[in-house]
Amino acid sequence: MLTWSVVGLLMIGVYGQRALGATLVDTNRVSLRWKHVLENVPLAIISGVVALQALARGQTLAVDARLIGLAVAALCAWRRLPILVTVVAAATATALVRAVS
Amino acid sequence: MTWTERLFPPETLFSKGEAATLAFTYFTAGLAVSVLHVTAGTDPITMIAAALIVNSATATLAYAAVVSSGGSTFAGVLSGWLVSTRFGLFAAAIGPRLWPERWKRAVASHMAFDPSVALAMREKDDVDARRSFVSAGLWLCVPWWLAAVVGSLVAERLGDVNALGLDVVLPALLLAIIWPQLQTRQGRLIAAGAAGAALALLGITPGGVPVLVAGGAALLALRSKAS
Repeated sequence: MLTWSVVGLLMIGVYGQRALGATLVDTNRVSLRWKHVLENVPLAIISGVVALQALARGQTLAVDARLIGLAVAALCAWRRLPILVTVVAAATATALVRAVS
Repeated sequence: MTWTERLFPPETLFSKGEAATLAFTYFTAGLAVSVLHVTAGTDPITMIAAALIVNSATATLAYAAVVSSGGSTFAGVLSGWLVSTRFGLFAAAIGPRLWPERWKRAVASHMAFDPSVALAMREKDDVDARRSFVSAGLWLCVPWWLAAVVGSLVAERLGDVNALGLDVVLPALLLAIIWPQLQTRQGRLIAAGAAGAALALLGITPGGVPVLVAGGAALLALRSKAS
Protein backbone atom coordinates (compact mmCIF):
# COMPACT_ATOMS: atom_id res chain seq x y z
CA MET A 1 0.00 0.00 0.00
CA LEU A 2 1.42 3.36 -1.04
CA THR A 3 1.14 6.28 1.37
CA TRP A 4 1.99 9.94 0.72
CA SER A 5 5.30 9.71 2.60
CA VAL A 6 6.31 6.60 0.65
CA VAL A 7 5.41 8.33 -2.63
CA GLY A 8 7.58 11.30 -1.57
CA LEU A 9 10.53 9.12 -0.68
CA LEU A 10 10.27 7.09 -3.88
CA MET A 11 10.11 10.31 -5.91
CA ILE A 12 13.30 11.62 -4.30
CA GLY A 13 15.17 8.41 -5.11
CA VAL A 14 13.84 7.90 -8.63
CA TYR A 15 13.92 11.51 -9.86
CA GLY A 16 17.21 12.07 -8.06
CA GLN A 17 18.82 9.26 -10.02
CA ARG A 18 17.30 10.43 -13.30
CA ALA A 19 18.43 14.04 -12.84
CA LEU A 20 21.87 12.99 -11.64
CA GLY A 21 22.34 10.65 -14.59
CA ALA A 22 21.21 13.28 -17.09
CA THR A 23 23.44 16.05 -15.74
CA LEU A 24 26.55 14.20 -14.60
CA VAL A 25 27.96 13.16 -17.94
CA ASP A 26 29.72 15.93 -19.85
CA THR A 27 29.55 15.25 -23.59
CA ASN A 28 32.89 16.83 -24.40
CA ARG A 29 34.80 14.85 -21.84
CA VAL A 30 33.68 11.41 -22.93
CA SER A 31 36.04 9.60 -25.31
CA LEU A 32 34.61 7.96 -28.44
CA ARG A 33 35.17 4.50 -27.00
CA TRP A 34 33.15 5.26 -23.89
CA LYS A 35 30.51 7.05 -25.90
CA HIS A 36 30.07 3.80 -27.79
CA VAL A 37 29.66 1.90 -24.51
CA LEU A 38 27.15 4.47 -23.23
CA GLU A 39 25.16 4.09 -26.46
CA ASN A 40 24.86 0.37 -25.80
CA VAL A 41 23.70 0.69 -22.17
CA PRO A 42 20.00 0.94 -23.15
CA LEU A 43 20.25 -2.22 -25.30
CA ALA A 44 21.93 -4.13 -22.45
CA ILE A 45 19.51 -3.00 -19.75
CA ILE A 46 16.43 -3.56 -21.92
CA SER A 47 17.64 -7.08 -22.76
CA GLY A 48 17.95 -7.78 -19.03
CA VAL A 49 14.51 -6.29 -18.33
CA VAL A 50 12.85 -8.31 -21.12
CA ALA A 51 14.47 -11.54 -19.89
CA LEU A 52 13.24 -10.91 -16.35
CA GLN A 53 9.75 -9.82 -17.37
CA ALA A 54 9.43 -12.98 -19.46
CA LEU A 55 10.84 -15.48 -16.99
CA ALA A 56 10.88 -14.08 -13.46
CA ARG A 57 8.00 -14.38 -11.02
CA GLY A 58 9.09 -12.45 -7.93
CA GLN A 59 12.53 -13.73 -7.08
CA THR A 60 12.29 -17.09 -8.88
CA LEU A 61 12.28 -18.36 -12.46
CA ALA A 62 8.88 -19.31 -13.84
CA VAL A 63 8.07 -20.52 -17.34
CA ASP A 64 4.47 -19.71 -18.23
CA ALA A 65 2.19 -18.15 -20.87
CA ARG A 66 4.35 -15.02 -21.01
CA LEU A 67 7.04 -16.92 -22.90
CA ILE A 68 4.53 -17.84 -25.65
CA GLY A 69 3.52 -14.18 -25.85
CA LEU A 70 7.12 -13.07 -26.28
CA ALA A 71 7.80 -15.78 -28.86
CA VAL A 72 4.87 -14.39 -30.85
CA ALA A 73 6.34 -10.88 -30.43
CA ALA A 74 9.72 -12.09 -31.70
CA LEU A 75 8.03 -13.74 -34.69
CA CYS A 76 6.17 -10.50 -35.51
CA ALA A 77 9.34 -8.43 -35.14
CA TRP A 78 11.21 -10.86 -37.39
CA ARG A 79 8.46 -10.61 -40.03
CA ARG A 80 8.73 -6.81 -39.66
CA LEU A 81 5.08 -6.41 -38.78
CA PRO A 82 4.03 -3.00 -37.42
CA ILE A 83 5.02 -2.55 -33.80
CA LEU A 84 1.40 -2.12 -32.63
CA VAL A 85 0.45 -5.44 -34.26
CA THR A 86 3.40 -7.03 -32.45
CA VAL A 87 2.31 -5.79 -29.04
CA VAL A 88 -1.37 -6.69 -29.50
CA ALA A 89 -0.51 -10.15 -30.89
CA ALA A 90 1.75 -10.87 -27.90
CA ALA A 91 -0.94 -9.90 -25.38
CA THR A 92 -3.62 -11.85 -27.27
CA ALA A 93 -1.47 -14.99 -27.45
CA THR A 94 -0.73 -14.80 -23.72
CA ALA A 95 -4.39 -14.27 -22.87
CA LEU A 96 -5.43 -17.20 -25.09
CA VAL A 97 -2.90 -19.58 -23.51
CA ARG A 98 -4.14 -18.53 -20.07
CA ALA A 99 -7.76 -18.99 -21.10
CA VAL A 100 -7.25 -22.58 -22.26
CA SER A 101 -4.81 -23.72 -19.57
CA MET B 1 8.01 24.80 -32.74
CA THR B 2 4.35 23.85 -33.02
CA TRP B 3 2.76 21.06 -31.01
CA THR B 4 2.31 18.99 -34.17
CA GLU B 5 6.06 19.14 -34.74
CA ARG B 6 6.70 18.36 -31.12
CA LEU B 7 4.46 15.27 -31.21
CA PHE B 8 5.47 14.11 -34.71
CA PRO B 9 9.01 15.46 -35.17
CA PRO B 10 9.64 15.68 -38.94
CA GLU B 11 12.80 14.10 -40.42
CA THR B 12 13.38 11.89 -37.40
CA LEU B 13 13.08 8.10 -37.29
CA PHE B 14 10.20 8.32 -34.78
CA SER B 15 7.07 7.22 -36.66
CA LYS B 16 3.34 7.66 -36.09
CA GLY B 17 3.01 3.90 -35.68
CA GLU B 18 5.54 3.98 -32.87
CA ALA B 19 3.74 6.89 -31.24
CA ALA B 20 0.44 4.95 -31.32
CA THR B 21 2.13 1.84 -29.91
CA LEU B 22 3.75 3.75 -27.06
CA ALA B 23 0.40 5.29 -26.18
CA PHE B 24 -1.39 1.93 -26.31
CA THR B 25 1.28 0.07 -24.35
CA TYR B 26 1.66 2.62 -21.59
CA PHE B 27 -2.08 3.12 -21.29
CA THR B 28 -2.68 -0.59 -20.78
CA ALA B 29 0.38 -0.95 -18.52
CA GLY B 30 -0.78 2.09 -16.52
CA LEU B 31 -4.22 0.52 -16.09
CA ALA B 32 -2.72 -2.76 -14.89
CA VAL B 33 -0.33 -1.12 -12.44
CA SER B 34 -2.82 1.30 -10.90
CA VAL B 35 -5.47 -1.42 -10.55
CA LEU B 36 -2.89 -3.63 -8.79
CA HIS B 37 -1.94 -0.89 -6.33
CA VAL B 38 -5.46 0.33 -5.61
CA THR B 39 -6.85 -3.16 -5.05
CA ALA B 40 -3.94 -3.68 -2.62
CA GLY B 41 -5.23 -0.76 -0.55
CA THR B 42 -3.58 2.35 -1.98
CA ASP B 43 -5.80 5.43 -1.93
CA PRO B 44 -6.79 6.36 -5.55
CA ILE B 45 -5.58 9.97 -5.22
CA THR B 46 -2.23 8.82 -3.80
CA MET B 47 -1.92 6.37 -6.70
CA ILE B 48 -2.50 9.11 -9.27
CA ALA B 49 0.11 11.29 -7.55
CA ALA B 50 2.54 8.35 -7.48
CA ALA B 51 2.13 7.81 -11.24
CA LEU B 52 2.81 11.50 -11.89
CA ILE B 53 5.71 12.24 -9.58
CA VAL B 54 7.45 8.92 -9.06
CA ASN B 55 6.86 8.09 -12.72
CA SER B 56 8.18 4.56 -12.35
CA ALA B 57 6.01 1.48 -12.02
CA THR B 58 9.16 -0.53 -11.31
CA ALA B 59 9.78 1.47 -8.13
CA THR B 60 6.23 1.43 -6.75
CA LEU B 61 5.71 -2.27 -7.57
CA ALA B 62 9.03 -3.20 -5.93
CA TYR B 63 8.02 -1.28 -2.81
CA ALA B 64 4.64 -3.05 -2.72
CA ALA B 65 6.25 -6.47 -3.25
CA VAL B 66 8.67 -6.02 -0.36
CA VAL B 67 6.11 -4.59 2.07
CA SER B 68 3.39 -7.11 1.23
CA SER B 69 5.84 -9.98 1.89
CA GLY B 70 6.50 -8.62 5.40
CA GLY B 71 9.39 -6.21 4.76
CA SER B 72 9.67 -2.86 6.55
CA THR B 73 8.74 0.46 4.94
CA PHE B 74 12.44 1.32 4.92
CA ALA B 75 13.35 -1.90 3.07
CA GLY B 76 10.52 -1.25 0.63
CA VAL B 77 11.67 2.29 -0.20
CA LEU B 78 15.28 1.17 -0.51
CA SER B 79 14.36 -1.57 -2.94
CA GLY B 80 12.21 0.92 -4.88
CA TRP B 81 15.28 3.13 -5.28
CA LEU B 82 17.50 0.20 -6.20
CA VAL B 83 15.24 -1.17 -8.94
CA SER B 84 15.04 2.27 -10.56
CA THR B 85 18.80 2.73 -10.94
CA ARG B 86 18.27 1.79 -14.58
CA PHE B 87 16.49 5.10 -15.15
CA GLY B 88 19.60 6.91 -13.93
CA LEU B 89 21.68 4.95 -16.43
CA PHE B 90 19.18 5.66 -19.21
CA ALA B 91 19.33 9.37 -18.36
CA ALA B 92 23.13 9.22 -18.46
CA ALA B 93 23.01 7.58 -21.90
CA ILE B 94 20.65 10.14 -23.44
CA GLY B 95 21.65 13.20 -21.33
CA PRO B 96 24.70 14.27 -23.36
CA ARG B 97 22.62 14.20 -26.55
CA LEU B 98 19.86 16.49 -25.26
CA TRP B 99 20.83 20.08 -24.43
CA PRO B 100 24.08 21.69 -23.27
CA GLU B 101 22.15 23.34 -20.40
CA ARG B 102 22.10 20.98 -17.45
CA TRP B 103 18.80 22.28 -16.00
CA LYS B 104 16.96 21.42 -19.22
CA ARG B 105 18.40 17.91 -19.14
CA ALA B 106 17.36 17.56 -15.50
CA VAL B 107 13.76 18.55 -16.32
CA ALA B 108 13.53 16.24 -19.34
CA SER B 109 15.10 13.32 -17.46
CA HIS B 110 11.75 12.77 -15.71
CA MET B 111 10.64 11.21 -19.05
CA ALA B 112 13.63 8.85 -19.28
CA PHE B 113 11.99 5.45 -19.80
CA ASP B 114 13.27 2.36 -21.60
CA PRO B 115 11.54 3.02 -24.96
CA SER B 116 11.93 6.81 -25.05
CA VAL B 117 15.70 6.51 -24.60
CA ALA B 118 16.09 3.52 -26.94
CA LEU B 119 14.06 5.18 -29.71
CA ALA B 120 15.99 8.45 -29.38
CA MET B 121 19.38 6.71 -29.40
CA ARG B 122 18.68 5.42 -32.94
CA GLU B 123 19.06 8.92 -34.35
CA LYS B 124 22.41 9.81 -35.89
CA ASP B 125 22.00 13.51 -35.26
CA ASP B 126 21.81 14.92 -31.72
CA VAL B 127 19.06 17.42 -32.55
CA ASP B 128 16.92 14.59 -33.95
CA ALA B 129 17.72 12.48 -30.88
CA ARG B 130 16.45 15.25 -28.61
CA ARG B 131 13.27 15.76 -30.64
CA SER B 132 12.58 12.02 -30.73
CA PHE B 133 13.17 11.76 -26.99
CA VAL B 134 10.76 14.58 -26.13
CA SER B 135 8.11 13.27 -28.52
CA ALA B 136 8.40 9.63 -27.41
CA GLY B 137 8.42 10.79 -23.79
CA LEU B 138 5.13 12.65 -24.26
CA TRP B 139 3.52 9.77 -26.17
CA LEU B 140 4.42 7.48 -23.30
CA CYS B 141 3.94 9.61 -20.17
CA VAL B 142 0.62 11.27 -20.96
CA PRO B 143 -1.27 7.99 -21.64
CA TRP B 144 0.46 6.48 -18.60
CA TRP B 145 -0.79 9.31 -16.36
CA LEU B 146 -4.29 9.20 -17.88
CA ALA B 147 -4.40 5.43 -17.35
CA ALA B 148 -3.43 5.91 -13.72
CA VAL B 149 -6.40 8.25 -13.28
CA VAL B 150 -8.81 5.87 -15.04
CA GLY B 151 -7.36 2.74 -13.42
CA SER B 152 -7.39 4.20 -9.92
CA LEU B 153 -10.99 5.28 -10.20
CA VAL B 154 -12.43 2.08 -11.75
CA ALA B 155 -10.08 -0.43 -10.08
CA GLU B 156 -12.85 -2.13 -8.11
CA ARG B 157 -14.80 -2.90 -11.27
CA LEU B 158 -11.93 -4.43 -13.28
CA GLY B 159 -11.11 -8.05 -12.60
CA ASP B 160 -7.85 -9.87 -13.05
CA VAL B 161 -5.94 -7.64 -15.50
CA ASN B 162 -3.30 -10.29 -16.19
CA ALA B 163 -5.92 -12.59 -17.71
CA LEU B 164 -5.85 -10.17 -20.66
CA GLY B 165 -2.11 -10.72 -21.12
CA LEU B 166 -1.30 -7.15 -20.15
CA ASP B 167 1.89 -8.24 -18.40
CA VAL B 168 3.56 -9.03 -21.76
CA VAL B 169 2.64 -5.73 -23.38
CA LEU B 170 5.75 -3.94 -22.11
CA PRO B 171 8.34 -6.69 -22.75
CA ALA B 172 6.85 -7.24 -26.23
CA LEU B 173 7.20 -3.53 -27.02
CA LEU B 174 10.77 -3.46 -25.71
CA LEU B 175 11.71 -6.54 -27.72
CA ALA B 176 10.31 -4.97 -30.89
CA ILE B 177 12.27 -1.78 -30.21
CA ILE B 178 15.64 -3.49 -29.72
CA TRP B 179 15.04 -5.94 -32.61
CA PRO B 180 17.01 -3.91 -35.22
CA GLN B 181 20.01 -3.81 -32.87
CA LEU B 182 19.94 -7.61 -32.68
CA GLN B 183 20.80 -7.79 -36.39
CA THR B 184 24.48 -7.15 -35.68
CA ARG B 185 26.81 -9.67 -34.06
CA GLN B 186 27.85 -7.20 -31.40
CA GLY B 187 24.23 -6.34 -30.61
CA ARG B 188 23.33 -10.01 -30.18
CA LEU B 189 26.38 -10.54 -27.99
CA ILE B 190 25.48 -7.65 -25.68
CA ALA B 191 21.80 -8.67 -25.50
CA ALA B 192 22.59 -12.33 -24.78
CA GLY B 193 25.19 -11.40 -22.16
CA ALA B 194 22.77 -9.00 -20.47
CA ALA B 195 19.83 -11.42 -20.47
CA GLY B 196 22.03 -14.26 -19.21
CA ALA B 197 23.51 -12.15 -16.42
CA ALA B 198 20.09 -10.91 -15.29
CA LEU B 199 18.61 -14.41 -15.15
CA ALA B 200 21.69 -15.89 -13.46
CA LEU B 201 21.52 -13.33 -10.65
CA LEU B 202 17.75 -13.64 -10.11
CA GLY B 203 17.01 -14.79 -6.58
CA ILE B 204 20.65 -14.47 -5.49
CA THR B 205 20.83 -10.68 -5.33
CA PRO B 206 18.25 -8.07 -4.22
CA GLY B 207 15.80 -6.88 -6.93
CA GLY B 208 17.37 -4.29 -9.23
CA VAL B 209 20.89 -5.71 -9.04
CA PRO B 210 20.36 -8.22 -11.91
CA VAL B 211 19.32 -5.38 -14.25
CA LEU B 212 22.24 -3.19 -13.13
CA VAL B 213 24.74 -5.96 -13.82
CA ALA B 214 23.01 -6.61 -17.15
CA GLY B 215 23.75 -2.98 -18.04
CA GLY B 216 27.43 -3.86 -17.66
CA ALA B 217 27.13 -6.01 -20.79
CA ALA B 218 27.41 -2.72 -22.69
CA LEU B 219 31.14 -2.97 -21.93
CA LEU B 220 31.27 -5.70 -24.60
CA ALA B 221 31.05 -2.80 -27.05
CA LEU B 222 34.64 -1.96 -26.13
CA ARG B 223 35.88 -5.18 -27.71
CA SER B 224 35.06 -4.76 -31.38
CA LYS B 225 34.78 -1.07 -32.19
CA ALA B 226 37.93 0.59 -30.92
CA SER B 227 37.68 4.00 -32.48
